[in-house]
Amino acid sequence: MLNIVRLPYRLIAGFLHHKKVVPLVFLAPFMIVFLIFKVYPVILAIIMSFQNFQGIKSQDWVGLTNYENVFELVRFSQALTNTTVYTIGTLLVLIPLPLALAVLLDSGRVIASTVFRVLIFLPALTSLVVAGTVFRLILAKDGFLNLFLEGTLGLDRLRWLEVSELALPSLILIATWRWTGMNILYFNSGLVNIPQELYESAAIDGASPWKMFLSITLPMLRPTTFFVVVLSIIGGYQVFVEPFILYAGGAGPGDGGLTLALLIYRTAFTSFNFGTAAAMGVILALIIFVFSLIQFRFFGVLGRED
Amino acid sequence: MSKANIIRLALVLAIALSAFGMALAQDATELSLWVFVDRHGLYMQSQAERWNEANPDRAINLSYEQIDYTQMHDNLLASLLVGIGAPDLADVEISKFATFTKGDEMFYPLNDVIDPYRAEIIETRLAPYTANGNNYGIDYHLGAFVMYYNTALLEEAGVDVNSLTTWDDYIAAGQQVTRDTDGDGEIDVYMMSVETTGPFSARGPMLMLGGGAYNGEGEIILESEANIQALQFLQDLVHVHGIARPATGGHHHTPEHFIDLVEGRIASFYMPQWYMTRYPDNMASALADDAVIRPMPVWEEGGYTSTMGGGTGTVITKQIDPDKVALAAEFLAFSKLTYEANVALWTDLGFDPMRLDVYDDDALLITMADFSGEVPFEHIKAAIASVAPEYTGPFYPEITTIMTTTMLYDLIENQVSPEEVLANAADELRAMGAEF
Repeated sequence: MLNIVRLPYRLIAGFLHHKKVVPLVFLAPFMIVFLIFKVYPVILAIIMSFQNFQGIKSQDWVGLTNYENVFELVRFSQALTNTTVYTIGTLLVLIPLPLALAVLLDSGRVIASTVFRVLIFLPALTSLVVAGTVFRLILAKDGFLNLFLEGTLGLDRLRWLEVSELALPSLILIATWRWTGMNILYFNSGLVNIPQELYESAAIDGASPWKMFLSITLPMLRPTTFFVVVLSIIGGYQVFVEPFILYAGGAGPGDGGLTLALLIYRTAFTSFNFGTAAAMGVILALIIFVFSLIQFRFFGVLGRED
Repeated sequence: MSKANIIRLALVLAIALSAFGMALAQDATELSLWVFVDRHGLYMQSQAERWNEANPDRAINLSYEQIDYTQMHDNLLASLLVGIGAPDLADVEISKFATFTKGDEMFYPLNDVIDPYRAEIIETRLAPYTANGNNYGIDYHLGAFVMYYNTALLEEAGVDVNSLTTWDDYIAAGQQVTRDTDGDGEIDVYMMSVETTGPFSARGPMLMLGGGAYNGEGEIILESEANIQALQFLQDLVHVHGIARPATGGHHHTPEHFIDLVEGRIASFYMPQWYMTRYPDNMASALADDAVIRPMPVWEEGGYTSTMGGGTGTVITKQIDPDKVALAAEFLAFSKLTYEANVALWTDLGFDPMRLDVYDDDALLITMADFSGEVPFEHIKAAIASVAPEYTGPFYPEITTIMTTTMLYDLIENQVSPEEVLANAADELRAMGAEF
């Protein structure tokens, strides 16, 4: 009896331990979750974007109607502009600032640099619900930011949460707080991989630190920079939680903080128009895809132009 | 005792206990409820106790879960769409309700259990939760608009709160109250705050002047003369009379606005009656000695004295066990429409009842420490002398969204004309497929 039990067990064990199967076994937990929670919804969304979805029981095929509806929505162009401005804003801040801080932390001139690294990284782990509440207090008219600007620069108090022009700057501020530490981490891992000999020989040739930064650090960090830029663009175009939390489910005064993802959410969960929302999701995915492709070409990751 | 015997004994005990538990539970029908306001859940549980006393043979065991406003509605919609995970009963807020009427039928109609009470209640209060002739939800309250005053600020300016019967009186008094108290050239106290990213400051006058989002025939009447007049009135309070300013943070539920009230920077504003609960809940009763409520000033003799604002209807979802539907429906009517329930709505929950015959009950004439020790119900009773109805329709959620994002913001902050903001809103709705 024992043998009967052991035979299939041996067969299975033998199969699982096969050289070609082992990697798949280790990958399986991730792949299964990835397929169910990422790939399957994406396919479903694409299907839904061609349907008039009224519930699990009733869906009709409507061709490209949903895509036409997207471009008729009055708020679509505003959402697209806002999202683009937000993404550019985060790129302008979240590439140079973490790069500079990473170089500084790596230079050995900072006391207890690990402490700073951890402190700057912590926001990435903070609950955004808590962060949203705290930022409402920071950005309030009598809040910390206004008091700080008034005290140090003598600026008038701004209505950060109450005028539409300041909605995107507020969101970029939150993004800066949240992602600076993460990007420092990326740049730091890139810096570690730059051979020290390069700096040593440059120093012997009499190069200034600034010259070394421009001629060694920046070019050698190119793959890291590419990675961070692509991630920032993807993250920027998908921005949802920050405005959602800051404006309690809305998009701020005058829709100043309305992003594409928020409009998708609004179209689905307020207007009950899941087809149009799905179509907008597909358009958003295409935008991100095209931008990423341009990046790949610009940084020469695909071809070998340089 | 051997190990095996101990295990046997434990097993026997466990079976006996669970059988006993099941026998107990068999009497009470389990009902689950989702709410986004904890007070609602507590109220429904107290009503379940009252139901069990009256109907011991058909007892229910009501358990409720409080979930954040947005998340609760999203979860409910998602659960109902995919056909699994929804509770038996759920609270649906007025501006979210229409979203649930657009797909397959998601709730059970309640017409039959409401019928016996129709004569006693303000029936138009059912309109926001009605689609295709079916009443799907029953509200907790009437939500009558009233004025909230800080009498200390009025008295400092020599204004008697009881002298403000018309808007002309109010505006004249407002010019005395609105002032720079410390002489730094900036106004410190305003007579009124208005919402720019909340709907109530606009919706009140819109409805009381005969406008609103929809009329009784289900047509969108956004560009009506009444709405233009209402928005002009609101814009004038801020920019012509200079007695009002936007609420700090954009609406009347921001922490910044509560701070303004407590610090004595705002002398009055109008909101639905349920906003009274914010005085203890959000302002720790800090204004207990100065806060009072009064009926809103009127535009002219014989006009509406109030209207309904906000609301939450409790519904029965299609995912309830079909055997429980009848019981759940009866309980809902019992908890919201019976005479005793409507008394409790005020005494326990602090919400104005929608059943008119309880308004003469002395049980409601209780004093409230949070409102200067007055009997607020007397003023609510005066306010509901004639209540403008509110009608909603399929695009009500979108209209609310437009009002609270761009429409009122443009009207107040950018001083765009009422005609233009309403025309813009109408265009946006038409682009979403609304026909009117």
